[in-house]
Amino acid sequence: MVQELLRCENIKKVYHTKLGLQSYTALNDVNFSLAAGEFVAVMGPSGSGKTTLLNILASLDQPTSGNVLLEGQNFRDIPEKDLAQFRRDNLGFVFQDFNLLDTFSLKDNILLPLVLSQTPVKEMERRLQPVAAMLHIEDLLTKYPYEVSGGEKQRAAVARAVITEPKIILADEPTGALDSKSSTNLLQIFRALNESGKTILMVTHSSMAASYAKRVLFIKDGAIYSQIYRGEEDNHAFFERIVNNITVLSNGGVDIG
Amino acid sequence: MAKAFYLKLAVANIKRSREIYIPHFLATAIISGVFFLICGLVSSDGLTNLPSGVTAQTIFSAGIFLFAVFSVIFMLYINGFLMKRRKREFGLYGVLGLSKRHIGRMLVWENVLVLGLGVVCGIAAALIFGKLLFLLLLRAIHTAPNSEFIIGPEAYLMTLGLFVLVFVVTSVINLVRVHISNPIQLLYSEKKGDKDSRFIVPRAVVGIICLGVAYFFALTIDIPATAIGVFLLLAVLVIIATNALFVAGSIVVLRLLRKRKKLYYKPKNFIAISGMFQRMKQNASGLAVICILSTMLIITVATTTSLYLGQEEQLRASYPFDVEIWLYPDADQEISSQTLVAIDRDLAEAAAGCGASLSADLEGKSGPAAEEIANGSTYDYELLEHSVVRMNMVLMFDIEGSDEAYQEFLEQIPDVMTPHGISFSYSDIESIRVDAYAFSGGLLFLGVFFGILFLVITILVIYFKQITEGYEDKERFAILQKVGMNDTQVKETINRQILWVFFLPLLVAVCHTVAASKIICVMLQGFELYNSTLVLGCIGITCAIFAVIYLIVFRLTAKVYYRIVKW
Ligand SMILES: Nc1ncnc2c1ncn2[C@@H]1O[C@H](COP(=O)(O)OP(=O)(O)O)[C@@H](O)[C@H]1O
Ligand SMILES: [Mg+2]
Repeated sequence: MVQELLRCENIKKVYHTKLGLQSYTALNDVNFSLAAGEFVAVMGPSGSGKTTLLNILASLDQPTSGNVLLEGQNFRDIPEKDLAQFRRDNLGFVFQDFNLLDTFSLKDNILLPLVLSQTPVKEMERRLQPVAAMLHIEDLLTKYPYEVSGGEKQRAAVARAVITEPKIILADEPTGALDSKSSTNLLQIFRALNESGKTILMVTHSSMAASYAKRVLFIKDGAIYSQIYRGEEDNHAFFERIVNNITVLSNGGVDIG
Repeated sequence: MAKAFYLKLAVANIKRSREIYIPHFLATAIISGVFFLICGLVSSDGLTNLPSGVTAQTIFSAGIFLFAVFSVIFMLYINGFLMKRRKREFGLYGVLGLSKRHIGRMLVWENVLVLGLGVVCGIAAALIFGKLLFLLLLRAIHTAPNSEFIIGPEAYLMTLGLFVLVFVVTSVINLVRVHISNPIQLLYSEKKGDKDSRFIVPRAVVGIICLGVAYFFALTIDIPATAIGVFLLLAVLVIIATNALFVAGSIVVLRLLRKRKKLYYKPKNFIAISGMFQRMKQNASGLAVICILSTMLIITVATTTSLYLGQEEQLRASYPFDVEIWLYPDADQEISSQTLVAIDRDLAEAAAGCGASLSADLEGKSGPAAEEIANGSTYDYELLEHSVVRMNMVLMFDIEGSDEAYQEFLEQIPDVMTPHGISFSYSDIESIRVDAYAFSGGLLFLGVFFGILFLVITILVIYFKQITEGYEDKERFAILQKVGMNDTQVKETINRQILWVFFLPLLVAVCHTVAASKIICVMLQGFELYNSTLVLGCIGITCAIFAVIYLIVFRLTAKVYYRIVKW
């Protein structure tokens, strides 16, 4: 058995309205675990709580109840003041809307987490080289986010996520704002990253995107409903299986995008 | 569509953007109120009837024009700011099917509401506080408060005229702007990244040169007439320099900092330098405006205050004695010493007859005139028996005695002098003083009015800046947090940036003022004010008070900023 990296135990998230009069249960009881080296996609329709789940895994948000453990370390045991540092050292993020800072060139955007960790300049440049090469953005490093395309922005964002060599990369609808060509390109990069040993958890509502993963979890009514493994299948066959699974889900009353 | 519809839309818009429209309204009210007061004072019969009222009114008339010019420029600035912020909203309206004509009508209604309400409230407040202000003015010009304060119809007309002008100009600008734009462009206009501006280095160099030249002359000129002559020119140079240095100089410095990798890639500097980059690119000219306005405010208030406070000293410098009698003998006429002795005696007798006496005490008198007399250097000077001082063809003396005796004696001077058969004219310190105070008191009032105007503008520019930056920074800091910056770091960074951006103008303004203090002293010497300590004191105190107000404004507006950024 491979080493367990991340574990979610009975995660529940209840949102309250401002006055606390009404509450909405976004996540009811989520349980799953992730082994090192996995590439997992979490699928679910819009509003099913995917972003909520990812924010909790990212320690950006706290669950109402339940625990998240990274290599056995419970998020609840990390003091508030160390959380940012913890996030920087262990987790890498890729967002749907890139979240690049317009005030920084792509290079500086990518280096941002390293700068925050006070990495020496030499070390930063040493790390930047291979990452930029792998993501094919060497020639764009001096440009600003508003000067490059969506796909290029997202690749820069991926570079920013991996340059700290995090234990796990969390991606929230990374292809959501991209055209199909850029999407394919990005997903191939994800796969390549995974093959080089990186652990990836990607949240998506696109079956095409999910078909690049090795395992797909389906979320419904705030809980993990089912999961399928790729096994030895190719992308196409896996895609078919995902779509079939969704159809079964929808017949159960869930509409998926 | 019905007219009421646009009115409703306009009201809704104003309510929604009240954080901008309320300050806009307040500024309109204050500016129109102050303008109305100046006009009121100029046209007031109460002032014309005063002995020295006309002098004060002349000063105010000159001020009105300048005030109006500044007001119009400023209202245009606010309008431009509002329109820029709302571009996307207009784009959205366009896409949703509101035609340009309709958007235009809505804008005109908004303009009517805000300006109209502002002017009405401003005039109302001015009417309430006007009476009080009038009394203060009378005190300042050393006149008994026995005249009525009635604001004539001219004041209403002028104020209305000014703001109708503002209304027409801003409305036309807005309509044109809406008409030449297309909705898609408007929709995405705010998202456009700002490119590096061009000619940065040459502009920075021009700035440095202008500043150097202006500072050099300000610090070296010591002839009052020259100082007064070139002051405006130097001011223009400083304005050009300030603008260039804020816009271009800051970018040059930041670029240099960014090139030094060891320094740049430190967490604090990294965010701060790039943040400043962004801000300077977008707001440099706004900051330059704040800086220039602050400088003008400090200098205006300090100069007028020192002229007012130094008035007595200045009077005594020019008129060391209470009374001066100037003799104008005919070409072939010689004034014998007997004549002088007789005049001296007659004057003393007349004074005694009124219950007063003459005296000529050089002790305690300062200023160039007194010094000349004491040293007897250039002038032909003698002290006659009954305390009349003769200096060349001028007879001078002080009068000791009650105010009534003083006045009574003054009226007798022609009777005393005429029999001696020499043409003469005479002046006395009391009537000169009244005129002088009308001048410097009026100037002080005007200085304070302008101070209020500049302050209102400065505050509003700062406030708008905080709001705009708040919305931009909100996004940036959310991203920084996601990427792994903790709350404390974020707060620290915000604080540092705000401090820099808001205190840079104040710092530079104080720097300009310090550089200008020498030439101001020299210029005031041209107005016979030789007390440099007083002038420097006024400048120092004005700077200090302004800094405190600035700090308060900063604290208050920073709250708005934090509320937007939510920390
Ligand atoms: N901060 C919040 N407060 C209240 N409700 C929220 C909040 N964030 C998300 N929700 C609700 O939780 C549900 C799940 O949201 P989200 O996790 O964003 O779904 P997804 O990413 O799968 O589309 C939605 O119904 C949303 O309205
Ligand atoms: Mg989502």
